[in-house]
Amino acid sequence: MAQNVTNVSQTEEVSSTRRVIAASSVGTLIEWYDFYIFGTLAKIISEQFFPKDNPTAALLATLATFAAGFVIRPFGALFFGRLGDLIGRKYTFLVTLVIMGGSTFAIGLVPGYKTIGFFAPAIVFILRLLQGLALGGEYGGAATYVAEHSPAGQRGFWTSFIQTTATLGLFLALGVILVVRQSLGVETFSDWGWRIPFILSALLVGVSIFIRMRMSESPMFVKMKKEGKTSANPLAESFKKKDNLKMVLIALLGATAGQGVVWYTGQFYALSFLQNACNVEFVQSNLIISIALLIGTPFFIVFGALSDKIGRKYIMMSGMLIAVLAYQPIYRAMYNEAALKTKTEIVEKTTIETKEAVKGTDTITTKITKKSYEDGTTYKETVKTTIPLDPVKKAELAAKDKLKPETKKEVTLPKTSYYKMIGFVLIQVIFVTMVYGPIAAFLVEIFPTRIRYTSMSLPYHIGNGVFGGLVPLISTRLVEATRPAPGLPPADPLAGLMYPILIASVSFVIGMLYISNKTNNMDVE
Amino acid sequence: MSLIKKLFGIVWSLMGIGIIPLVIMQAMKEIAAKPSEENWIFWSIVIVVLMPIIAFSLITFGVFALKGEYDVLD
Repeated sequence: MAQNVTNVSQTEEVSSTRRVIAASSVGTLIEWYDFYIFGTLAKIISEQFFPKDNPTAALLATLATFAAGFVIRPFGALFFGRLGDLIGRKYTFLVTLVIMGGSTFAIGLVPGYKTIGFFAPAIVFILRLLQGLALGGEYGGAATYVAEHSPAGQRGFWTSFIQTTATLGLFLALGVILVVRQSLGVETFSDWGWRIPFILSALLVGVSIFIRMRMSESPMFVKMKKEGKTSANPLAESFKKKDNLKMVLIALLGATAGQGVVWYTGQFYALSFLQNACNVEFVQSNLIISIALLIGTPFFIVFGALSDKIGRKYIMMSGMLIAVLAYQPIYRAMYNEAALKTKTEIVEKTTIETKEAVKGTDTITTKITKKSYEDGTTYKETVKTTIPLDPVKKAELAAKDKLKPETKKEVTLPKTSYYKMIGFVLIQVIFVTMVYGPIAAFLVEIFPTRIRYTSMSLPYHIGNGVFGGLVPLISTRLVEATRPAPGLPPADPLAGLMYPILIASVSFVIGMLYISNKTNNMDVE
Repeated sequence: MSLIKKLFGIVWSLMGIGIIPLVIMQAMKEIAAKPSEENWIFWSIVIVVLMPIIAFSLITFGVFALKGEYDVLD
């Protein structure tokens, strides 16, 4: 009889934890989706809202991309972290969800620069900042909430579901964009179809809010509140007290900084490298990343669960070390796989087509060269030259050296190379799952309940947002520095890996030396 | 182990201090060579956002490590 009661109670506990995980994960996934569609559609958004000929709008575009990515996220972490430690986890991350969903939906409705002028980039900029603020508050809340519901000894397993959301959010964003783009066609998508993924967010957020409204507050927070043990000033307690500040620093330097660069390299830099260094065609490159993400995602749970058994430290550190050692060979292999100079061209299949059209006040000349290779690779090069009909304007642009043609190179890989590329990216996603799978459990366990939301959110968002978020900017810059002259290919297309390798190496050494592999029991202090 | 942690504390602090003149000098050199808007934005981001975070966190962490604050974490 007693055995039956225990079994029923255990089943109820597992079922309740599952509900908590599902409700938290869906909301967090949608927040990541919302955040990534802006980044993924950055080029179209830039054309619609931030015209290059308006310097202020162009500056806003840069700020919107970077500011929301790394400056605002830590502020969101501080603001909502404090709120979460004062009033509770549930209401705080409900608010972040509403802000994120509302901003995303609104971006989809803002008229373009051509319609409302400078108001368009200004509004989009503010909405993007709100997105960053909301994201800064969301993750810490969701991780804390799930960890505080999880039974001891299984925290790595249960929180790893939250860890899958960032990757699944990116996957969802890429998937929705690809489906809408393929359904509407490239031109319609660039014209207005890009708004659909943003507007769709309202529906997703609506469902998630409905689910989250029905959730109860974290049991640890409720207990702490009942006992009057909540912090009166979580910010001061988190960052002014030496005992806690030293844990914030170890979390940042020994874990989240390395995790951030591995995360961004394995997913975003891999996509950028495929498209810009290997010139792999848009749809194919996105499919490569999407498939690798989909296959790799269950490993977040594998490594999360494994960290409950062997500790968080060694899994995270192994992920960092293997990434540091493997990045150069992996990226070299990716580069060689798409390099046309190693392939044999079928010369008789080469076609060259030239078109000329007058559009508005310009003459546009388009030259399309198509090549085929023996291994099945195809190559398309589009050279577009825009020349003003007005001779004065033409002379003006020529004097400023602005009449240069735009060249777009697209390589479509054959099946074997395509599968190999998926494999190369998948290996990197596995590194991501090793460093990222156990990190939520690691972070929640090193801080006390009364200031957990605030304390864990800041190092996470500085590590992931600042160190990780800067990977595309710094790595691109490092590659550009090896370019002998404009128009020529870079001498070292792998130079961009120096930044993530350096950060992950320092993080690995600090983590190995100073992080404990013991799991905290996370009782309410 | 405790001694290694403390010795490395000096390394982290020196790295934190060293990164400040290194980044500023590199920025000045590159901006002087090519004072484009792109260069200004890049180095502003590095100097205003990344460098202070790295410098402050490494110096503080190094001092804590040197004082033996992390000796209890094994």
